[in-house]
Amino acid sequence: MNTIPDTTPLRQPGVDRTSAGDFLAGLWLMVTLELRQRVRGVAWYVLLGIFVVLVAAVTVLLWLSTTAWETGGGAVFSAVIFFVLLLGTFVSPALSGNAINGDRDIGTLATTQVTLISTGQLVLGKFVAAWITALAFLAAAVPFLLFAVTLGQVSLATIAVSVLVLAAELGVIAAVGVGLSGVVTRPLFSIVVTYLIVAALSVGTPIAFALLGTATKSEQTLTSPVGCDDPATTGSIPRFDHYWWVLAANPYVVVADASPGVFDASGNPQDLFGWIAVGVRQAQVPPDLQGEAPYCQSTGQYFGDDGGQLSTARELYDNAVPSWFVGLGIHLILGAGALLWAWRRTLTPARRLPTGRRVA
Amino acid sequence: MGSNAAQGITVTGVSRSFGDVHAVRAATLFVPPGSVTALIGPNGAGKTTLLLMLASLLAPDTGTITIAGHDPVTDARGVRAAMGWMPDVLGSWPSLSVRASLEVTGRMYRMNRLDATARANELIGLTGLEALADRPSRVLSRGQKQRLSLARALVHSPSVLLLDEPASGLDPAARVALRELVRRLAGEGTAILVSSHVLSELDEMADAAVYLADGVTASAERVALAGASARSWRIRSLDPAALERGLLASGVSGIQTDHLGTLVQVDNEAAAADLLARLVGAGVRVSAFGPAVGDLEHTFLDLSRPESNGGAA
Repeated sequence: MNTIPDTTPLRQPGVDRTSAGDFLAGLWLMVTLELRQRVRGVAWYVLLGIFVVLVAAVTVLLWLSTTAWETGGGAVFSAVIFFVLLLGTFVSPALSGNAINGDRDIGTLATTQVTLISTGQLVLGKFVAAWITALAFLAAAVPFLLFAVTLGQVSLATIAVSVLVLAAELGVIAAVGVGLSGVVTRPLFSIVVTYLIVAALSVGTPIAFALLGTATKSEQTLTSPVGCDDPATTGSIPRFDHYWWVLAANPYVVVADASPGVFDASGNPQDLFGWIAVGVRQAQVPPDLQGEAPYCQSTGQYFGDDGGQLSTARELYDNAVPSWFVGLGIHLILGAGALLWAWRRTLTPARRLPTGRRVA
Repeated sequence: MGSNAAQGITVTGVSRSFGDVHAVRAATLFVPPGSVTALIGPNGAGKTTLLLMLASLLAPDTGTITIAGHDPVTDARGVRAAMGWMPDVLGSWPSLSVRASLEVTGRMYRMNRLDATARANELIGLTGLEALADRPSRVLSRGQKQRLSLARALVHSPSVLLLDEPASGLDPAARVALRELVRRLAGEGTAILVSSHVLSELDEMADAAVYLADGVTASAERVALAGASARSWRIRSLDPAALERGLLASGVSGIQTDHLGTLVQVDNEAAAADLLARLVGAGVRVSAFGPAVGDLEHTFLDLSRPESNGGAA
């Protein structure tokens, strides 16, 4: 420190208070601070570059392999969207999962909290910054999605809806990551837990769906067909219809189901997303507990299905609850809940502190 | 600013525990505007916990705190607008430059861009960080980060300043500058509470001292007793042999000699003055005569003694 000039004015800053505008100004200050802190590193750009190279490679390989089968852009598009979601779920937790506790570790959380920045601005600012970071990856993938459009078979509406839902899903992961970083004390641990939640949603939901569905059984009574003397038989049947929402909470299902269904003349889906949507929505249909056996044991006669009763994939799709809506709803509640929890845990003056946590 | 009792820092019967650990049991202190109070206590006495409560980061279990007329529990925003806090943990945004860090902090206090930039420049000059202003803060040394931390605490020209170990890591010149700055801010009406282990540093800076031991602030009576207890005085003479003869003749107890001079136990300042007069009268050529430890250190050591007897010998 040098000699102090005697005339330095110590004036009062203009502290004025209007509600919404000030809140947004402070929020944006936190967003820009967070982006300057985390994103302006060489490592981040290297990561983005690797991501672009990977997406490009996948796009080209898919294009070459699908043109061999002459199915066109639909497959390329679906695969690129899923690939962006996959890489997004790999990258996003690492970028968001230490937002709050990492700041506490380097001693910049408390110095922010003693300013006029509120806890809400702090938590939301970190969430928006983490989301923007994840969206940069999506933006880098958009050229490849547009390339899929030029191949035909995919409409711009499909692309727009898929990109929007993908953006929302990346936001949910960012919210979970930032939320956990405010709840869990150690950065490494909160990042790992974020990965585990992402894994639970991506891999855990199909497993849980299969296990829960098969573990829950209902009794199905099959009466013998007309003109057959067999006694009515009873058997147990898995109830997947109770748990379709578990499957709906899978981010891949949400993205696939949200894209507008495109069907051909005989009511069959045109692309991968359509097949997934039909498959998932099929799980909503409860089994017929009072059915008619298709086979007469005593006479050996096979009655078969009445063709008229079976609905086409398109009818099934149209009659079911849009599962992406339910899945995205579950995700939004999860993300908002994580942020709310983080907000409560970061409030100052702190009353109760988890063991091992310092304030500053 | 005068001695408005609502301004400055008022702490009454504050306690705070973490589970079974009672970090602060009963803290009571008052820092009037325009003064510097030292917060002194052994490691683990609860100094930082007390400062965190004053900084509106930690809620007290019991007791009341008033910072510049605002209660940090019910009106944290009011406290924050008026209070500057320099933490003991050196935290800075690693990739932001010194200038950008100060500008961002100013904007966090709702200054507009121009004001924040101007204030950042002012503080860079004030803390002598000109040469480093545009370097990212991760390249700063410990002492330089300490100066940045002080500058950040001053961004919004607070009327109450909390400094947690501000002098640690500073070189001697920077310590002098810190002392001058603190005195000047106090002169301009700021209420300042400084915690430090460098007691000689505080001796020259503080108007008053608060002693915190085991989370309890020592009462004024205890402090007075401790301050009045027998203490060591250091005497140097051009003729050590004559000094020793003179001391023996004066009947002084507890004479110790080391390479810096001779230490004797003297009950109080009056006795010290008498002793000096006798030595000079006896023709001993005394070149240095003064307390061996500073006032704060003497009181601190006396108070931190287990089961301090405190009374004058």
